[in-house]
Amino acid sequence: MSLARLRSLWDALNLPDFTSDAWRGVLIAIVVVGYALGIGYHLLTWATGSAPALAWRAGYHMSIVLCYSALWFLFSSFLRRTVRSPVRLFLYAVLAGVTYLVLATLVQSLGTGQGLLAGGDASVAGLDYERRVPLTIAAVVKVNLLSLLEVTFTMLTLLLLRSLVFYRRTRFSQFKWRLMMGFFVLTALLTFMKDPADDLGGLMAVAMIPAVGMAVVNSFRLSWIVYLPFREKMATMGLALVLMVLLGFSLGDGVLPDVSSYTRFYSFPLSVFALLAALFGVLYGVTTMLSLLFHLPTTSAFQRKADEVAAIQSLTHLISQVFDLDKLSRTIVASPIDAQSGDVAWLMLMREGADAPLRVQAVQGAMVKDIQETMDVDALFAEVQETQDVLLLDEAPGDRRVRAHPDGAFESLLVVPLLARDDVLGALFVAKDVRYGFEEDDVEAIRVFAAQAALALDNARLFEERLEKERMHRELAIAREVQQKLLPQEIPSLRGTSIAASSVSAYEVGGDYYDFVRLDDDRIAFIVGDVAGKGTSGAFYMAEMQGIFRSLSRQASEPREFLVAANRALSTTLDRRAFISVVYGIFDVGREEFRLARAGHCPAALIDLHGQARLLRSGGIGLGLNNGDLFEQSLEVRTERLQPGDVFVLYTDGVVESRNAEGEEYGYARLKASLQEHRHEDADDLHEALLCDLQGFLGAETYDDDLTLVVVKWHGLPIGVPSPAPQASALSLPS
Amino acid sequence: MSTFSVSFRDANGVRILDLHGELDAHTASDLEGAIQQCHAEGSINILVNGEDLEYISSAGLGVFMAYVEEIRDDGGDIKIADLQSKVYNVFDLLGFPVLFDICETEEDALARFEEPAPDAGNASS
Repeated sequence: MSLARLRSLWDALNLPDFTSDAWRGVLIAIVVVGYALGIGYHLLTWATGSAPALAWRAGYHMSIVLCYSALWFLFSSFLRRTVRSPVRLFLYAVLAGVTYLVLATLVQSLGTGQGLLAGGDASVAGLDYERRVPLTIAAVVKVNLLSLLEVTFTMLTLLLLRSLVFYRRTRFSQFKWRLMMGFFVLTALLTFMKDPADDLGGLMAVAMIPAVGMAVVNSFRLSWIVYLPFREKMATMGLALVLMVLLGFSLGDGVLPDVSSYTRFYSFPLSVFALLAALFGVLYGVTTMLSLLFHLPTTSAFQRKADEVAAIQSLTHLISQVFDLDKLSRTIVASPIDAQSGDVAWLMLMREGADAPLRVQAVQGAMVKDIQETMDVDALFAEVQETQDVLLLDEAPGDRRVRAHPDGAFESLLVVPLLARDDVLGALFVAKDVRYGFEEDDVEAIRVFAAQAALALDNARLFEERLEKERMHRELAIAREVQQKLLPQEIPSLRGTSIAASSVSAYEVGGDYYDFVRLDDDRIAFIVGDVAGKGTSGAFYMAEMQGIFRSLSRQASEPREFLVAANRALSTTLDRRAFISVVYGIFDVGREEFRLARAGHCPAALIDLHGQARLLRSGGIGLGLNNGDLFEQSLEVRTERLQPGDVFVLYTDGVVESRNAEGEEYGYARLKASLQEHRHEDADDLHEALLCDLQGFLGAETYDDDLTLVVVKWHGLPIGVPSPAPQASALSLPS
Repeated sequence: MSTFSVSFRDANGVRILDLHGELDAHTASDLEGAIQQCHAEGSINILVNGEDLEYISSAGLGVFMAYVEEIRDDGGDIKIADLQSKVYNVFDLLGFPVLFDICETEEDALARFEEPAPDAGNASS
């Protein structure tokens, strides 16, 4: 609790963001001024040969601490967000170390150079610890330069390692790091104003305990190691070793014995900070080395895991790219083998509507024949289809569904169902040539992979279905166009008569049909029919009916002859459950009569000038229902004398059986009422009025059923015009 | 959408099919399956009761045509009874009364199965 509070306190104490240029300018100014002041101070003490008063010394030390604090924040601002690979981080630290070593050696050799030979004697190094003054001008230069070099190197090392410690950082790890830095600074500041010659003794050792403790804690932040490939691990190990050696030099004993004594002379806290930073560097180096050493053997296992992840990722990528089922299947079976999860892999998919519903879609690592001879894949599939879960056979040949293979290729077997939208699309089989070849994480990985694969396959399947649908749609559009052309493109004219007709299909193609053939100047043959048959088959029968009408009506034009012949022709070709209901008639203006017969069709409606309406319901069964004598026996032909103003309406059941939203049928009564209302109009207007009324009743633009409506109106012949009189037809239309 | 169902009963060796709902192009296959099943099980005397049949389309009528010939060849028949007047009208328009025995009541139809049909007799010999 107290720790948490401390942490939040620390987080609240957010240091300013030094990355802005303005801040960097300020920091650089502080560093330059502080450093220049330091040089001036040392030159002054060298010149006067004695240390100044206490206040002056305190000012000097404070300015140095300030200068190097600014230097820290300056470096930190440049290294804060740069993410580099661990190898490169170590490489930079080593390069900094080598540069430091070379420069420090050069600076050391300035002046007498005797310091090196004398081995750490302060006076020989050109410094007088007692009087706190440099003895030579070379010593002044050395004090300033060597301190800068050592502190710069250790600071850089610390900052570079910070990136590693912060790998996958949490608030807590950040807090631990800041705590360590806090202890470093506190410990260093304990030595503020101490004389270089002072022996700090036990107190200092005690003061260092928390700093070192935190350094140890932070040096176990090594999670970046696991993600390194083998070669990078080796390289990092080497670099860490070199860095440790270089840091060892800066810790004091070694090739550069005097550097730390110069730094200590320069500023005691700085030298303590450098010492602690170097100590952390060495600790981190040690843990890195050891951890790398232990992680080396697991690298390949980790790499495999990474490959599995990569395989799944590449498949996820494929889902959006590949809609070719074969290509996708090959990729799917290749993946477990590439990821070394198995030796043989094959994919079995369900096929809709096939005799053998399951088939090997793709295989890698074996022959399809081998698989089929070795095991009962159908039984294995049936099980995963039932359980919808993974089936793992650790000792496959021990299972009753699997036989031993001579090469021992299928010793352990994993069967994963491919599930998409609660549907088992198939299964992915993975086999290994050793028993107990699949570990738990292998199974999990393949399961995840199979889920992705199922999604991809499902997408490919949907895409194919979509393509098929679009193709069907185009085909149907063509069929519709063709069918429209089977309907009469223009209505023949007949004197004294006006005719209007239309047909609408509820779907792309329909089974409704109407047609006219002008037999001679006086006669037109009519047909209105409706094919009852499954789906698009209706359209074909309608086409056949059209052919029969066009050819037969000229030879056998009278209703009985025509319908009997048509029934005979159709009964051999129609499907048993299909039939065609028609009304066929001859409109004969020469004899002023309408002869018609009904083969199972809705009765034609007739309304006269006075509004008397009748349904012409004569006997007759549908075409194609009976190929014997029953058809002819039941067929009745009606002959209607034409009276001027008579209106005949021929239609299909789409008209009378259409239902509105309440499920109510349009019906004969409404048809009759509408006819009575509009009976004085000519065929076109009457036709339009009837459709208008129907649509008004339905309350919708679309129809559920095909709908055909033919209106024939007899206006009568003007008195005195002899028949035949072809040119009289225009005159005969009453206004 | 339209609902349709078929249920079965047996009376005096006659398989009775009670139709419910609306028989149209979508539901025709249900009735087709039912008649096919009866035929496969050896029932050749089939009586279709239309008391609860609300609507029939031409595709529905086609189903009766699909099997009647085979069943008559086997010496049986499909008879239809108890149709609502609106549904009967559809049968009638197409001329089904010429092709099928359509009776007013189920009892009539059952009785008709007792009489030897001259057609069926000829077909089976």
